[in-house]
Amino acid sequence: MPVFQIDGEPVEYEPGEKVLSAALRSGKMIPHYCYHPGMSVVATCRMCLVDVIDMGNGRPAPKLQTACSMDATEGMKVETLNQKVEEGRKLVNEFLLVNHPLDCPICDQSGECTLQDYAFEYGSGKSEMDYSKRVNGWRDIGTFVALERNRCIQCSRCDRFTREITGTNEFGMFNRGHELTVDTYADRPMTNKFQGNMADICPVGAITEKEFRFKRRVWKLKKNHSICTGCSTGCNITIEHDRNEVFRLKPVENQNVNKWWLCDEGRLTYRLMNERKMRIHQPLGRVDGSLAGISWEEAYSAIAERVSELAPEPQAVLALTDTQASNEELFLLQKLLKDVFAADNVFCPLPKWEQSESDFFINTLITSDKTPNRAGALALQIQGDEKNERLTKTIENDLKVVFVLGNPFAADLDVQQKIKQAQLVVHLGVFYNAWSEIADVVLPGQYYSEKVGTYTNKQQRVQSTEIAVQPLRRTRPEWQILAELSQRLGQKNSFENVPQVFTAIAGETAAFSGLNFEKIAGLGIELTKKIKDNGKKIVSVQT
Amino acid sequence: MLEETLVLFKNIRNPEYDKSLAGYKKSGGFKSLKKVFGMKPEDVVQEVKESGIRGRGGAGFPTGLKWSFMAKDTGKPSYLVANADESEPGTCKDRELMLKDPHLFLEGLMIGSYAIGCHHAYVYVRGEYFPSIKTLNSAVDELYADGLLGPNPLGSGFQLDITIHTGAGAYICGEESALLDSLEGKRGHPRVKPPFPAVSGFNACPTSVNNVETLACMPFILSDGGAEAFKSFGPQNNSGTHLVSLSGHVNRPGVYELRMDVNMKDIIYDIGGGIRNGKKLKGVIPGGSSSPVMTADEVDVLYNFDDLAKKGTMMGSAAMMVFDEDTDVVKLLHRITRFYAHESCGQCTPCREGTHWSRQIVRDFLSGNGSDEKLKLLNRVGGNMMGTTLCALGDAAAMPIQSFVKKFPDEFRKYYAIA
Repeated sequence: MPVFQIDGEPVEYEPGEKVLSAALRSGKMIPHYCYHPGMSVVATCRMCLVDVIDMGNGRPAPKLQTACSMDATEGMKVETLNQKVEEGRKLVNEFLLVNHPLDCPICDQSGECTLQDYAFEYGSGKSEMDYSKRVNGWRDIGTFVALERNRCIQCSRCDRFTREITGTNEFGMFNRGHELTVDTYADRPMTNKFQGNMADICPVGAITEKEFRFKRRVWKLKKNHSICTGCSTGCNITIEHDRNEVFRLKPVENQNVNKWWLCDEGRLTYRLMNERKMRIHQPLGRVDGSLAGISWEEAYSAIAERVSELAPEPQAVLALTDTQASNEELFLLQKLLKDVFAADNVFCPLPKWEQSESDFFINTLITSDKTPNRAGALALQIQGDEKNERLTKTIENDLKVVFVLGNPFAADLDVQQKIKQAQLVVHLGVFYNAWSEIADVVLPGQYYSEKVGTYTNKQQRVQSTEIAVQPLRRTRPEWQILAELSQRLGQKNSFENVPQVFTAIAGETAAFSGLNFEKIAGLGIELTKKIKDNGKKIVSVQT
Repeated sequence: MLEETLVLFKNIRNPEYDKSLAGYKKSGGFKSLKKVFGMKPEDVVQEVKESGIRGRGGAGFPTGLKWSFMAKDTGKPSYLVANADESEPGTCKDRELMLKDPHLFLEGLMIGSYAIGCHHAYVYVRGEYFPSIKTLNSAVDELYADGLLGPNPLGSGFQLDITIHTGAGAYICGEESALLDSLEGKRGHPRVKPPFPAVSGFNACPTSVNNVETLACMPFILSDGGAEAFKSFGPQNNSGTHLVSLSGHVNRPGVYELRMDVNMKDIIYDIGGGIRNGKKLKGVIPGGSSSPVMTADEVDVLYNFDDLAKKGTMMGSAAMMVFDEDTDVVKLLHRITRFYAHESCGQCTPCREGTHWSRQIVRDFLSGNGSDEKLKLLNRVGGNMMGTTLCALGDAAAMPIQSFVKKFPDEFRKYYAIA
């Protein structure tokens, strides 16, 4: 790749690339507001001023140039730290603060506001503006975000977002000069499903998330990398939490999956992480017909006792799972049945799903498959089909032992009625549901924000989550429960953590062979041998 | 006694002139176009280059050079857009041409279109110029009826359509890239350059944007021996006659056609008939409201691009605004800053905030709250807008502020707060 210099250090660039883009890619920070790598260059904030001391032809540029709009050329020399540049930044910052309210103490962006950061870093620290500031007022612009127009610095990122990213064009710039504001057209609220991103890309506190406003100062939040499990896209996110309470989910850039974006539906799934009412808090056992709290030891020994009493045939053992479970959990469930009962009756629902196709990339993020690990179940060859024909046949057998993971076939009352007849029903789950009602033993699992796991998304990319918040005291991650259960049922295994389980998956299944847990961390890796998904249907979406 | 040199105003100064197509043809119109159709387009551009004509819109960029920069063999159509959005305060020359001799301008537009291979030319007319719009529309209708527009005019095999498009009243739409945005139906916001319009302009196709007066010079330049004659009308590098919009406190304001080697003093005292009511001259804004102001002592200078640039100001669109000794310079500056604060498009930071802030400071002076610090601040705010913005409007707003503060500091002292 050709090379140019920033502050004497060589920086590689692709032909046609701009100075700022190349600088940011190589980790060199140049302050900017209006530039966003996913959108067109407007060069209006004037913050990314740099001094081009050699344009590649031995001549300097006549005045400071905006790095976002300046083409990088071979042999070009750019300075970003000299006095001229500092003065340029200082004056731009002064102008930006002329009409910006100094209400940082009550502004939700405070702490992650680029204007605040740059004013602190490059500003002069005093203001000579002693006239009243522009007042535009608060606007309710959509279901997910609120607009405080006084704080707007007119970088037009939000305007470009609805024009270039979602294509919905419902947002725009109004008036001109110092009265230039952003607003929705015709006073209508926005309807696009990606409004939260506008709060992310807004460099100041003009657009903020309604869900998060006034709940916690951002510098108190701890952040953990994770994967959104709201659908099979598997957008990369950070879970932001404080004192064991999750406050919001933010997208993390992954060019292969979600680029910079996350849908509002996905953002709202943070609520489930804080859900306590519907959670199963401790192991439950059926005593005199009703569920009562028991200890883990009691639960395990009760299951082991019943299993040895029943001594079921392979065809009398059944496991049902949903595709919310991670690869490890699916694998261990399968392994439990195979090793202990020599059975392979593991089923999951695999309904048809729709993948949208659109001129605007962001629309393809939303799929109709609201589970994170359908592809993982397919790769592990968990059985299931659109109409559940094989399952209906299997449950006609005289069932003795049934394991249920999560909430599969939630709407299928026939299946539930049949399984209720089984001698022993064990439910592993995070939330209390219909299966807990009919189970003999209920084992409490953990939500994905509380445990480590890998998920295979719709592109068949394997990605992993991190532990973000402390789990409920008496719950255990499902992979651990399954490993312990199989030990109690006479199998020897030594799975102590998720990487060990993953190594076993990579060793024992064809689809995952060659993968390595360490390499998955971060941006994830796609399966080398693609699995065929018969339930996929492509639909085209117009915005 | 200084007199006008009639090239563009040849017909307009003739009291019997009939501005219809027949009248224009009778006075020798469309001869140049006929000659041009016999030439190769490159030769036309070469001829324009040789005439040395510089754009009359304000920047003074050589027109021939602009046309030769047009991207060729792109597979995309080329466009010629006439900038008739005459909005610089003080300028009213294009209106005269469009209103009183539309066919001269349209012939120039056709010559330009032929030179750059444009088959659909646009005229972006300022929205407030209702009579000009009406005249232009009927003139274009006449041309279509006569077969001079449309397919095969004068048997040349060349095809040309002209569309008259009216603006909606924004000063910034006179900036060429904002004009193109507006023409495309978007908000008139100046674009990031490069790419320049010659590479990616109207609908991302190669486009040349030229001033009305520049185009109106073409029939003369392309007539026999025209380029040489045009060159002889002024000193080196400042060729041709140009239209001067003289306004302010002179006895005979108006639009006059003058050579480029005329002294500014003579324009004020001969052509303009001196200062109104026998007053003394205080200063001149030489080239539209955005040009740095000149004091009475500085006006002994040739009125052309280069000589004014040497004096630290500019000719711009040749709109001279003369003001006498009774004028309150602070009020004048307030009027100018108010204009730029109102007309800034607002997309880029220094201009959006700076134009408004400087207006607030000048207003503060007017209400009697001036001080040395505020004068320094005003100068600094103006300076910070200079050269830091996306388009030239920031500079245009900064230049009057800085020059007024520098040249009339005593006037501002009148408004200092009494301690």
